[in-house]
Amino acid sequence: MRRAWTGRLAAVAFVAASSCSSSFGMPRGSTEQGKDIFDLWQIFFWAGIGVAAIVYGLIGWSLLRYRRRRNEDETLLGRQFHANVPLEIIYTAIPVVIVIVLFVLSYRTERTASSLSASPDVTLRAEAFSWGWRFGFPDQGVEVVSQPSAEGVPGPEILLPLGETTRIELTSNDVIHAFWVPDFLYKRDALPGRINRFDVTPTDLGTFHGVCSEFCGLHHAYMTFTVRVVSPAAFDAWIASEAPAGGLA
Amino acid sequence: MRVALRYLWSFAAFGLAFGTLYYLFTEEWVGSVALWFLGVAPAIVALWWRRHGPSAAVRTSDDAEASPASSEGESLGSFPAGTAWPLFLVLGVIVTGASLVYGLLLLPVGATLITWAIVGLARESRG
Amino acid sequence: MSLTTERRHPVPSPADRPHGGPVAWLTTTDHKKIGLLYCVTAFTFFLIGGALAGAMRAELAGTGNQLVGPQAYNTLFTVHGIIMIFLFVAPFGVGLANYLVPLQIGAPDMAFPRLNAMSYWFFVGGGVLVLLSSFATDAGGVATGWYLYPPLSGPRYSPGVGPDLLILGLALIAISTLMSGVNVITTTFLMRAPGMTMWRLPLFTWNAVVTALLGLVAFPPAMAAFVLLLFDRRLGGQAFDPLGGGDPIVYQHLFWFLGHPEVYILILPFFGVITEIIPVCSRKRLFGYTGFVLATLAIGALSTGVWAHHMFTTGVVDNPFFSAMSFAIAVPTGVKFFNWIGTMWGGRLSFRVSMLFSIGFLLNFLIGGVTGVMLASPPLDFQLSDSYFLVSHFHYTIMGGSVFGIFAAIYFWWPKAFGYRLSERLGRGVFAFLFIGFNLTFWPQFVVGLRGMPRRIVDYAPGLGWETPNLVSSLGVVVLSLGVLVFLVDVVTARRRRTPAGDDPWGGHSLEWATTSPPPEHNFTALPRIRSERPAFDMRHPEVSPSSPPMERS
Repeated sequence: MRRAWTGRLAAVAFVAASSCSSSFGMPRGSTEQGKDIFDLWQIFFWAGIGVAAIVYGLIGWSLLRYRRRRNEDETLLGRQFHANVPLEIIYTAIPVVIVIVLFVLSYRTERTASSLSASPDVTLRAEAFSWGWRFGFPDQGVEVVSQPSAEGVPGPEILLPLGETTRIELTSNDVIHAFWVPDFLYKRDALPGRINRFDVTPTDLGTFHGVCSEFCGLHHAYMTFTVRVVSPAAFDAWIASEAPAGGLA
Repeated sequence: MRVALRYLWSFAAFGLAFGTLYYLFTEEWVGSVALWFLGVAPAIVALWWRRHGPSAAVRTSDDAEASPASSEGESLGSFPAGTAWPLFLVLGVIVTGASLVYGLLLLPVGATLITWAIVGLARESRG
Repeated sequence: MSLTTERRHPVPSPADRPHGGPVAWLTTTDHKKIGLLYCVTAFTFFLIGGALAGAMRAELAGTGNQLVGPQAYNTLFTVHGIIMIFLFVAPFGVGLANYLVPLQIGAPDMAFPRLNAMSYWFFVGGGVLVLLSSFATDAGGVATGWYLYPPLSGPRYSPGVGPDLLILGLALIAISTLMSGVNVITTTFLMRAPGMTMWRLPLFTWNAVVTALLGLVAFPPAMAAFVLLLFDRRLGGQAFDPLGGGDPIVYQHLFWFLGHPEVYILILPFFGVITEIIPVCSRKRLFGYTGFVLATLAIGALSTGVWAHHMFTTGVVDNPFFSAMSFAIAVPTGVKFFNWIGTMWGGRLSFRVSMLFSIGFLLNFLIGGVTGVMLASPPLDFQLSDSYFLVSHFHYTIMGGSVFGIFAAIYFWWPKAFGYRLSERLGRGVFAFLFIGFNLTFWPQFVVGLRGMPRRIVDYAPGLGWETPNLVSSLGVVVLSLGVLVFLVDVVTARRRRTPAGDDPWGGHSLEWATTSPPPEHNFTALPRIRSERPAFDMRHPEVSPSSPPMERS
């Protein structure tokens, strides 16, 4: 029994240690869409902590208060109540209310995070293939392509302008892949025969790591890429330097 | 056998209702068809059971006041002692599958085992 | 041979005199033997699947490829998933149901004993084919992930017979599940003892019935998907190839129509297990029996309508519908938690090993459940899906939940099945190692998932903050392995010690505790009167028995 407590203390220590960075390790979101999702995460995270605290508290209290004492007569029974309908109704109704609230909040956040602006400033075509990425800015005639992926081979880098809305048109050349930039709190599957569209409006400058997050075969682990968010002027300069010869990376 | 019928009709109603609700919300066919068939299947069983099942008398299992003596003389069913045919049937399937890896020479061996086992099972259940 | 209520113990005629030894086990139709066969076979697969996981975690302990290359690693996680889901947890649940359901309802055996034997052997056959598909093929084994998503699993990107053998193995397992499902449902509806109405069934039996129903509902669409995939692979079909007008998303719908109920198939029997153990070890009646039954039915029903929450990131399904259903399914599970707490409240808790594992189940499954609610939110899922956060979520539910339930069941029903006890002392050691090891392994995976580590990768780059959690997680596996080792020691030494258990070592509630340990052939020489959901307890405690009829339903 003591061991159960040791285990739980160890777990609590872990939680404490790992929560010491931006809300349990969740990136704060470096795009407008990502920031909305982060706000939703905060709500869920603290609601989860609350629920866990209540349930663990009740369990812990039961274990302590109602344990059979040593040398107690083995044949003694507990109080034989077995139902309390008003209580059961209450603890059914309250979770219903909680999940309705969580659902409504999620629905609204999804609407904004996945909404497509009427006129994006930049369009990025992202085509995933096994095993790399072909990024293209069709309006500007620029293309950036992976070298074949392998251990230690860096993936392609693309630049995006700060504060402007980039429409990403995502597809796959062969199997199902997925485009994920963890700092943007957003991923979308790259499906062959379909184009998935979503917007990113970066709010922070920086270099952000990207991965393929749908298992796609042998070198799935190496299908990484980098997104660098720069000022619009720097972005235009980069575009100019990459165009028009194709700009193969 | 009212209890079983009641549960079967409930499952059928659930599947049909849920499938309809799903279709109205999403208009997605694969899931809708899957859910509708989830409802159709118990309905088929219920119809058969209504026609061929035992009479509507309450069984002792469903009688809350029954005691072990109430079921005096009731047949509990037949319980065969042991059978080796399932083992041979599966051996046949494994050999057939292995033929895809180790060579099609194994295919007739597997097919023979399967056929022999099925025949054996059929004859055993008749007896 | 035919049985009637007078002839519960017929004298065997020469024609049905059983053989002794191994032949008896290979040809048996006795549900108790088949149940034990299922459990032992499933546990063997657990050891194999665990070894595969150990290899994976050894590779992931540090950056760079040290031990296994990408092809081998991809095979490892594919096979690990298939084994743990289809060859360990689900069959162990079927094995428990096989053993317990006839005993708990007061029946002499299952409704279809030969079909029962068939379902076991089909499970074994499926397992052998799965193993064959992993290791015995030329280009390495099947390496598509356990979902087998096309186009990756199609002919162009996975030539070779690995996936074909895997599909054949899964087909056998599906048939096995359908057969045992039919058996459990028919047995429960038609072979209950006098007075054992549906609303007096023990919760384990209720959960076994709903599990069986889910199996019947869920497997056929997946089989359709697998057959179509086989057509694509071998017969020039274009069902899932966009170039031929097909759609890989259709596969996902069909697969997850099984895939989601499958995870409830994995957990429901073990909800049932701890619902049996907690009242007994609290010396109290189960709190909220009606609520439990309704919650179980609700979970079964809702689980058929949430499948595309596995597809939120595809962008082609109605996210709000599936999100709403997925949130809804959290409610009945929450109700169960409060009912379990209500059962312990006011009781006299004995911390036997089975109770320790049940408490561990509650602690772990809560985390699995809360993180599941997070994943039910599509915008959060956009970040969390396909990352190690997801991996940790489902390990908290399947391993922290079902596997802890498996150990709880083993320690609880072992004396009944074999007539002698396992060691409480060693069992406490098993629990400690498993609980600590499990949390050490999987808690850091939440952390590293939030830091952006995707799943199913053989290797990761340094400098992203992923090294330390991965190392800790891999060390946790060492502790887990120690726990399993101590368990195996317990099993071996207990057999030698043979401490007799008696009919009812724990003060059990349901009918299996009213017969001998182990039960005789055809289970009962005499049945007690049944007036509540705990007839064995009522039999032994007439002073507490309800004199007025308890929950009266059909």
